[in-house]
Amino acid sequence: MMKKTILNMLLKKFNTEPHFNEKSNQKEIDLKGQDISRNYEDNLEIFKSIFSVPKNTDVKVREFTIRSLDRRAFLIFISTMVDIENIQETIIEKLIKSEQPSGRIQDITSYSMEKTATNIGEITELITGGITALFIEGYQECYLFETTKTRGRGIEKSENEVIVKGAKEAFNEKVIDNIALLRKKIKNENLIVESQVVSKRSRNDVFLIYQKDLANDEILENIKDKLAALDTDKILDLSILEQYLEERPRSLFPTILYTERPDRAASFIEEGHIILLMSNSPSCLVLPSTFWAMLHSPEDHYLRTPYGNFIRILRFMAIFIAAFSTSFYIAITNYHVGMIPPDLLMAIAGTRERVPFPSVIEIFMMEIAFELIREAGLRVPSPIGPTIGIVGALILGQAAVQANVISPIVIIVIALSGLSSFIISDTSLNFAIRISRFLFIFAAGTMGIYGATSLFIFGLFYLVSLESFGTPYFAPMTPHFISSKDLIIRHLPFTERFRPGYLKPKDIARQRKG
Amino acid sequence: MVLQQRKLGIREYVSISILMAGAKATEDTPTMLYKGVQNAAWMIPILAAGIFFIPFLLLNKTLLLYQNKDLFSVIVKLLGKYIGTCVCLLIFLISSIGISFDTRTYTNIVRTFYFPTTPTFVIYAILMAVCAYGAKKGIHHIGSVSYLIIFYFVIFFCIALMLSAQSSSIRAMFPILGPGPFKIIKDSVRGLSLFADFFLLTMIIPFIRSRKEVRKGTWISYLFITFQLSVAVLVYICLFDTSLGTIGYPFHTLIRFISLGSYLPNVEIIFFVIWILSAFIRFTVFLYINGMMFGHIFKIKDIEYLIPALAMIYLLIGSMPESSIEIAQSKLVVIAAVGPVFTIISVILWLAAVLRGEFKHAKNRNSM
Repeated sequence: MMKKTILNMLLKKFNTEPHFNEKSNQKEIDLKGQDISRNYEDNLEIFKSIFSVPKNTDVKVREFTIRSLDRRAFLIFISTMVDIENIQETIIEKLIKSEQPSGRIQDITSYSMEKTATNIGEITELITGGITALFIEGYQECYLFETTKTRGRGIEKSENEVIVKGAKEAFNEKVIDNIALLRKKIKNENLIVESQVVSKRSRNDVFLIYQKDLANDEILENIKDKLAALDTDKILDLSILEQYLEERPRSLFPTILYTERPDRAASFIEEGHIILLMSNSPSCLVLPSTFWAMLHSPEDHYLRTPYGNFIRILRFMAIFIAAFSTSFYIAITNYHVGMIPPDLLMAIAGTRERVPFPSVIEIFMMEIAFELIREAGLRVPSPIGPTIGIVGALILGQAAVQANVISPIVIIVIALSGLSSFIISDTSLNFAIRISRFLFIFAAGTMGIYGATSLFIFGLFYLVSLESFGTPYFAPMTPHFISSKDLIIRHLPFTERFRPGYLKPKDIARQRKG
Repeated sequence: MVLQQRKLGIREYVSISILMAGAKATEDTPTMLYKGVQNAAWMIPILAAGIFFIPFLLLNKTLLLYQNKDLFSVIVKLLGKYIGTCVCLLIFLISSIGISFDTRTYTNIVRTFYFPTTPTFVIYAILMAVCAYGAKKGIHHIGSVSYLIIFYFVIFFCIALMLSAQSSSIRAMFPILGPGPFKIIKDSVRGLSLFADFFLLTMIIPFIRSRKEVRKGTWISYLFITFQLSVAVLVYICLFDTSLGTIGYPFHTLIRFISLGSYLPNVEIIFFVIWILSAFIRFTVFLYINGMMFGHIFKIKDIEYLIPALAMIYLLIGSMPESSIEIAQSKLVVIAAVGPVFTIISVILWLAAVLRGEFKHAKNRNSM
């Protein structure tokens, strides 16, 4: 403790923050705290200056006279964020033409959603969100119409988490669509959609979605506190929010699940998890999440039990092969040659005869080449990307073998581990495994199987100490919690009776027979 | 969010005790047993378990009187501040010497069997570094890791023993009493040290969820270890017969000996991985318990800062002996001392508790 504080003090001394000559915007802040005035001209002036009107081309101010009241009025809205036709038809035309004697704005306009506000700051904030504001001469308050209409792509197929059987739709960038997708799956009045503003300048909203009668209040409070405590100008995307929320942002292993599948999100909500959505992000975050959540795929449950378990065991094997096959090869060929059957050993030695490098170098070269091909295939801007990748890999491998740079057995090992790494569908876990593979290669290269095993147990100690919002990484396996035992093997859907106990849900047993 | 103090479940507790005590079957203990009573060596674990059962039962009874108190707090409470601290210090010293020599033994095994050209110190330092890291993480995380690997340990241990069955002969068991009943009983007393780990494990009782789980977990692992040690020694006797007395580390000779069919003649690496994993757990727990003891004696609260220093000291003590023979000799002395000392302490504690009327108090408290 003591040491740390001294170190921090020293660091602070050497690492002072640079000073900038910043322009104060105290005037604007003061202005936003005030209420609007009754004076028409004043209001027009204030809002034109706030939105820098003639300069800001898509902010429209429409001045006109309301016939029935015989008063001047103006509308202000951002044309790219609203449904202009609708405004024209249901607000402006009505106001200009109507001869309703009552004079109540609610009776004149036919736009359905309407409320009033007086605070300048609040009105400004709403206008930037696509709301239309109506100011009338002599009125103390301003009328607000929810005319928001943002543009974006429609609901499309999930591309990064592909499954064969089951729902195909994926989240898109419109948070309203995303919430609708979830509501459609969980038709329950206890499904709560709460919103919270997380950043100061861009005012990004985060939506917390959970079932009121399931989600644990303590975890919920914890998440809300953490969101409220974020002190930042902007968080534009959910994946950036993820990094803000994680307990150990520098850790190799992810502790928050990021998925683009609404069906998956819905099943997590049903277990008592909390889902975070954000506009402009075609995905959601699942909190808290465990190692098992990252490992599983929704298809495990859509397929019949034996098939689901089959692919799950395959995936489990794939993790081990992806992480350890290359290091195992190095350990065996460098330190424990006796393990290889003599015939095979002769064959390997024969093919390696003309290769001038030690096998560690060989493996490193090939692993890096594989990662390069993979990254290149991802960035090639057309559907021929994967083809190029495969061709590149084949040609590279073939040529490298013929040029005696690497031995054919290395290609087999690398191909196996590379292929296995594709099976891990969670992007973050995938990276974690791929990076730890290099660590294992290094450990096995220096200390053989003993080094690799030491690193493995070191990693296990590290992994079990990870926590996601108070949930241990390997829960409910260890430490043990009551659950449906949906870990390495899944059971029949109707025997999965319990919600995971580590969430401390308010209702742990699902509907049971009778 | 303030998390409620997480407690060890029975699964983790049993895994820890099995990995900690079960490792005895995989080092040089079977050889030591064999040297004493030849082919009756497999009875020693059972008889020693029988002898140790009574003091251990008394110890458990005494400890479970107090909620959330570990062995050392109970010792100090029952024997008074000065005598209690002296006893604690004695236990700490014995277990410190124990861990130093044990870690060195394991390092020697790794070196002789798998890495003959690597310097001992490198292997030793890696072992201690990983254990120190694990011990720093705390007993809950150690428990979780043990639970993750316990099944593989048990399964692979069984497979190794079974694979050796094809070339062993059951006749090596006979004459069934070996050198005679008197000698067996005498050696059983020395065999008490086999269960010394259980004595040390009582340090972690306050971390376990409930007293019922402590009681249940302790007896499950006690029975399992007795059975495992006995079977393992029996298998070694059947496989090696009289040469067991000259084989330093029978488990490692065994896994070198066995093969999976004719195509895979050497599979020792697979078993080595599992074995070294269990060894890491064993010493992590050992180190953690020693850290706790040290912290308790010298009133240090944050023991995670102590552990690396202790690991360093044990590394240095363990590096002192030049050869494995020296270690074997010093280990013999420790082993001869450990069993009786721990047994006597257990009985004394119980007697002190009875004399002070603690059992009656507990009864009164419960009835109230």
